[in-house]
Amino acid sequence: MTIDACVHPLCAHKDDLRRYMGEPWRSRSFPGPDRYFYPVPTGEYVGAEGEAAGNKVAADPAKLSREIFGQEDVDKAILVPLTRGMLPDLDQSMAICRATNDWLADQWLGRGEGGKFLGTIRVDPREPEQAIAEIKRWASHPDIVQIAVPLQAQRPYGNRDYLPVWQAAAEHGLPVLIQSDGGSSIDYWPSPVGYYKLFLEYAALYPINFSYHLVSLIAEGVFDRLKNFKVIFGDGGADLLAPLIWRVDKDWRPTRSETPWNSQMPSHYVRKHVRFLSSRFEGPRDDSDWATWLAVSEISNLTLFASKFPMWQYDAPSSAFKSLGNKERRAIMETNTSEFYQLA
Amino acid sequence: MDEIVKDLVEICPVDELEPGQSRIVDINNRSIGVFNISGNFFALANLCPHAGGPLCKGQVTGTSVADKPYAVSWQRAGEIVRCPWHSWEFDIATGKTLTDPTRSVRTFKTVVKNGHLYIETGASR
Repeated sequence: MTIDACVHPLCAHKDDLRRYMGEPWRSRSFPGPDRYFYPVPTGEYVGAEGEAAGNKVAADPAKLSREIFGQEDVDKAILVPLTRGMLPDLDQSMAICRATNDWLADQWLGRGEGGKFLGTIRVDPREPEQAIAEIKRWASHPDIVQIAVPLQAQRPYGNRDYLPVWQAAAEHGLPVLIQSDGGSSIDYWPSPVGYYKLFLEYAALYPINFSYHLVSLIAEGVFDRLKNFKVIFGDGGADLLAPLIWRVDKDWRPTRSETPWNSQMPSHYVRKHVRFLSSRFEGPRDDSDWATWLAVSEISNLTLFASKFPMWQYDAPSSAFKSLGNKERRAIMETNTSEFYQLA
Repeated sequence: MDEIVKDLVEICPVDELEPGQSRIVDINNRSIGVFNISGNFFALANLCPHAGGPLCKGQVTGTSVADKPYAVSWQRAGEIVRCPWHSWEFDIATGKTLTDPTRSVRTFKTVVKNGHLYIETGASR
């Protein structure tokens, strides 16, 4: 069995979401789901033109079921809906999150054919009160397995402003997916040195922002406070982890008195609390080096297969991690994910 | 060597090393730091297990402790030595680092006899 840890379902029509909104939000304008900040030059979605286009397939539960569950032996897929536009208005942003969650439950959950769709709810963590209410609204839904928040943030996620949201997630046993959401709520300078110009720069560099959240969550003691708090980084980064966490461990020793709440070496928290989706893996140039690469990077147990269908970075399960041995491959394709999300 | 030879080496009369004081002594070409913490004597190799720095020449200090994030208190004042090279913190009494108990500096047993302070250089404890 294989679990696809990230598939993006899409609305068939831009305004479908309005049906799940009350006023004043229903009649207020907001953008569609396509990227307009660093748009993808080759097109945002995989697939041919017309009805076979990825965004058409990903807007229909039956078609998406055939696409996802018809491959290899995929039998579960975690659906991660995206949100809309850069909206500094927190209330509108949360209204879009709520409508997106209702849309997902209504249109998608329970509608997988030949496999099971699992769901992700969206919240805007800049608005803890509404975000927590939304987490509570969905916590007992049997098919909801995680919460998604944007990689884009006003402050790194270890900042104490966010703590109540993470606490609610941990209390309800829901891991938090931190993933770049091209249309999500607000965006900032995409790099600490300012705006780059081209999509290539955005695609290659933006995922590095995971490192700021990760080190912030460790240093500010979020994992010390919340023993059940789990985080998944959705834009790759696992390959960058080894040098990063080595450096954090190294520099933590002399500076430990600044963070005395850290009862363990920083790398300990990564193994216990953090995972990475496989989409946008970097990896070695030579396929025969994969097993060594994963072992040296200590990420064999931290990596979760994710196809990210229908986005341009799509990675087919049939060709993923093929050069690994059966045991190592199965961990990434199934058991790492089932264990972390505690899927039956 | 099957038999551990316990050589007692005199450091000084006990009243020459007062609480809060330390000194570095050379014994058989080995540099050793001797500390008086509140009337108890401890001796450590003056060689940091991290990068070989002169550990015992570092600041004798306390450390910050927190049961939960941001609730910081200052504890164990005078019981911790910080390596002057890279600031690793060591518990003077045990020789263990505060950051990773798998790393520690060699300790030597101290003995007070007839008003004089000795250390055992043949055996670590």
